[in-house]
Amino acid sequence: MTVTEQDITDYVDRVRAALADLPPAVRDELTEDLPEHLTEVAAEADGSLVDRLGEPEAYAAELRVAAGAAGPATGGRRDERIAAVVRRLRDRRDRLDVRLGPLLGYATAGEFLRLLRPAWWVLRGYLAAALIGTLGGGLTLFPRPFQSVLAGFLLLVVAIPLSVSFGRRSGELRRWPRVLNQVTAVVLVCFGLVLFQSLDQRRNDPIGYYPVENQYDQVRDVFVYDGEGRLVRNARLFDQNGAPIRLGYPDCAEPGRQDEAFRAGYPYCPEQAPFGPRSVPTPPGTPPTASPEPTATPTAQPTATPTATTEPTPQPTR
Amino acid sequence: MHTTVGSVDTTQLLKGVLDLAVLAVLRDSDGYGYDILRRLREAGLEEVGDASVYGTLRRLFAAGLLTTYVVPSESGPHRKYYALNAAGRDQLTRSGKTWRSFATTMDALLEDRGMAA
Repeated sequence: MTVTEQDITDYVDRVRAALADLPPAVRDELTEDLPEHLTEVAAEADGSLVDRLGEPEAYAAELRVAAGAAGPATGGRRDERIAAVVRRLRDRRDRLDVRLGPLLGYATAGEFLRLLRPAWWVLRGYLAAALIGTLGGGLTLFPRPFQSVLAGFLLLVVAIPLSVSFGRRSGELRRWPRVLNQVTAVVLVCFGLVLFQSLDQRRNDPIGYYPVENQYDQVRDVFVYDGEGRLVRNARLFDQNGAPIRLGYPDCAEPGRQDEAFRAGYPYCPEQAPFGPRSVPTPPGTPPTASPEPTATPTAQPTATPTATTEPTPQPTR
Repeated sequence: MHTTVGSVDTTQLLKGVLDLAVLAVLRDSDGYGYDILRRLREAGLEEVGDASVYGTLRRLFAAGLLTTYVVPSESGPHRKYYALNAAGRDQLTRSGKTWRSFATTMDALLEDRGMAA
């Protein structure tokens, strides 16, 4: 026998080295009894292993093709089971695809979603820019890296077209770049959710959006006095647009009658008037909360009250 | 490419039928790798490559068509024997039919053109 144990080990090592790109489990499985096999080959006839079988690299290439190791089918039964599960999930997805399509007015849901792809590319570019924009700053709707609006603008101008052109070519990606692309998409979507969520919260938070000190914050009631210093009852306040101005709250009204007090107008609590007792009494026979008065108020009251109604009658009585 | 069009290359033909050939030589008796190789060559498949047969055996085993067992030997290395299981026999029957119908078609085709040897 001209072939030694060492020759066989060397040959096997070189074959294994040539198969180094395969998953270790597959490679081990392919070569596990190769030493015994080569011993057999060596025992049968004279000549070196290379003379008999060719170079180990060529042997490895032939082995790879014959064992189908280039494809995923060689991984063994466990891989086949996984492949079967994947196939079932795909079938289910395809059925769902066809069933949802008509609801959207398309043959399949996928057809509709494919139309949205360019929109996703734009959104992806924006999200990428916004993510970079958080550098040296906080979460902002407009990317502002290191507080620079200009940099954020440039970022958007670069990121969005880049994302779109990348999206148009994403069909050419090989397996790993494609997986990377999908992982990036998931990360960006998660970031987007966090971003919008945080902005939403900030909007609901009054601090920063309203002046902290509103000089009318403390107002509980409004007392209107006419030119003669008399308290006006059932007064209404309007702004320049005719929208009612609401200030204060009818604290003194009974719990169930606060709506009435609102409708009656200012002051809510005439007995708490800060100045003088010279109140203008309501016209006889109508209680302060009566309904006929409010209907006439918005336009009539400001001009009518001082001259026509209030002055002549009540003055003599008090 | 014009280079691939030419005379029928036995190694090209072998690629398509090596699975069937390996299953066939295991039909009557189990065998170990080198033994199977030898049987194939004795049957007339001279061009069959060592690595091709070895790789094919691994693949058929992985596909669940073969079972293996190890037989210790005093003189040489332990030998891993391959045997057909039920799935392997089924596969052999089905592939055998496919091959026969294919071969018949080819024979008829050659006969029609008056080229039969």
